Amino acid sequence: MASSKKPVKVARALKAKPKPPPVRPRAPARKAPEQELSQTDPALFDPLTPGEVADALRTLTEDRRLAAMAKVGRYRVICTEPLVVKPPHWMAGHRLVRAVAFDSAADRTVDACVDLDAGVVAHLELTGAQPMLSRDEEALAVSIAMVDDRVRDQLALGDTPQSTLHYWGRSPDDLAFARRSAAVVFGRSDGHASIVAVVDLLENIVTQVVPAEQW
Amino acid sequence: MSNQIAEANWKFHWRLTESAGIMIYLADYRGRRVLWEGSLPYVTVDHQRETLEVEGDPGDAHGPWWVPLGARTLQGPVRVQAFRGGVELSAVFASGPYNYTQLWRFHDDGRLCPWLTIYGPGIHDQHTYHPHWRFDFDLDGARHDAIERFEDGRWQRVDHEGWFPYSGEADEHGNVWRQVELGSGAVLAIRPHSWDDAELFAIRYHDGEWAPYSPRSAAGAQTFPAAYVGDEPLDGDDVTLWYVAHVHFSQSFPYTAGPSIKVSGLGLAG
Repeated sequence: MASSKKPVKVARALKAKPKPPPVRPRAPARKAPEQELSQTDPALFDPLTPGEVADALRTLTEDRRLAAMAKVGRYRVICTEPLVVKPPHWMAGHRLVRAVAFDSAADRTVDACVDLDAGVVAHLELTGAQPMLSRDEEALAVSIAMVDDRVRDQLALGDTPQSTLHYWGRSPDDLAFARRSAAVVFGRSDGHASIVAVVDLLENIVTQVVPAEQW
Repeated sequence: MSNQIAEANWKFHWRLTESAGIMIYLADYRGRRVLWEGSLPYVTVDHQRETLEVEGDPGDAHGPWWVPLGARTLQGPVRVQAFRGGVELSAVFASGPYNYTQLWRFHDDGRLCPWLTIYGPGIHDQHTYHPHWRFDFDLDGARHDAIERFEDGRWQRVDHEGWFPYSGEADEHGNVWRQVELGSGAVLAIRPHSWDDAELFAIRYHDGEWAPYSPRSAAGAQTFPAAYVGDEPLDGDDVTLWYVAHVHFSQSFPYTAGPSIKVSGLGLAG
């Protein structure tokens, strides 16, 4: 009887013959970085769709590191643009968004790279740098300057806001040295400038009114 | 209008940015990659007082200012036009008394001219423009870059990051700086305009050190790109270059600033 088991054993042994190693789908051979670089998909540079912008900002504001900013809600998104990184960076080939915001409550800039493919904030810098003004801030600076008595007193007939410049002061004595500021140039439509009003965008006040020729 | 252009031996793409004018990216010359991306992150404007009194000179009483060159200041469409021996893109930007025409010119002999024509009266005559271009050239790949400047009658290697002003010395073609691809020996030579009072910043590429959305870093600190400059070695790595011109306003305006760049030695057939 014992011998009758042997075949079984043999049979089992045969059945238990080690299987050939599972055939895994072979990962495509990694190309040389130079080759990958030359084959970068130009579509990665394409302008963001409204949905991609929304997706990036949702991801950004859900990031734990920015919870305080999102909760207080005193921030402005300055811009969102596509960002493309080169091979062999692990994010190469991903749809990335560079999102820059200014957090007024903390007086700091948020400069982030959001990976839309992975749904994460892949790079985050919190700095004391001052990004450009948003269009809303430019419009706000004009509206603040327009109602300031010192500005109104110095405007000549036909003077209107001509331009809103992104400005910072050179001297530490100047409020605009460290604070978010704009300079609104007033003048005539023929290009002649009359006065410059410096607006502090944290306090929403005009801090200087200077005749243009003395700027 | 398609944002890919293939003409005059060049193939490149472009898009209008929020603040850095027209950005060119993935530019190939005769099928070989030359430029990853290039843009004009900003043009700052400084003002000076007109005085002959040394003691009473208040210096620069106010700081600089700037306006983003992007959709908010664009006047009309971005134009693509062929010219004899090449193709060019142009865009006009205006904000009050400041007017700019940004140009990207591609010549069939391998020249690339990122230029900026500056005009408009400003708010008074005593002012200076500082256009800042940023280039991420990838000659035959991102790495293996080396930077050289023409000094003491010959090309000399720049070992570390830094600021390299035009000293008045140039090679026989007027080139002052060049980027060399160490593998293939391809060269990108940069010739400044004689009146640009130009300078070049060479900076090792790092994630996060992308084109900034403002010249301002922290209060009282260096502005960009100087704020990116450290003491890192450049040889054999990926390098970004910033070309900065300093143009004082004069009655002879308009003035066109910017370098002429020529690629050569790519080992091209034909």
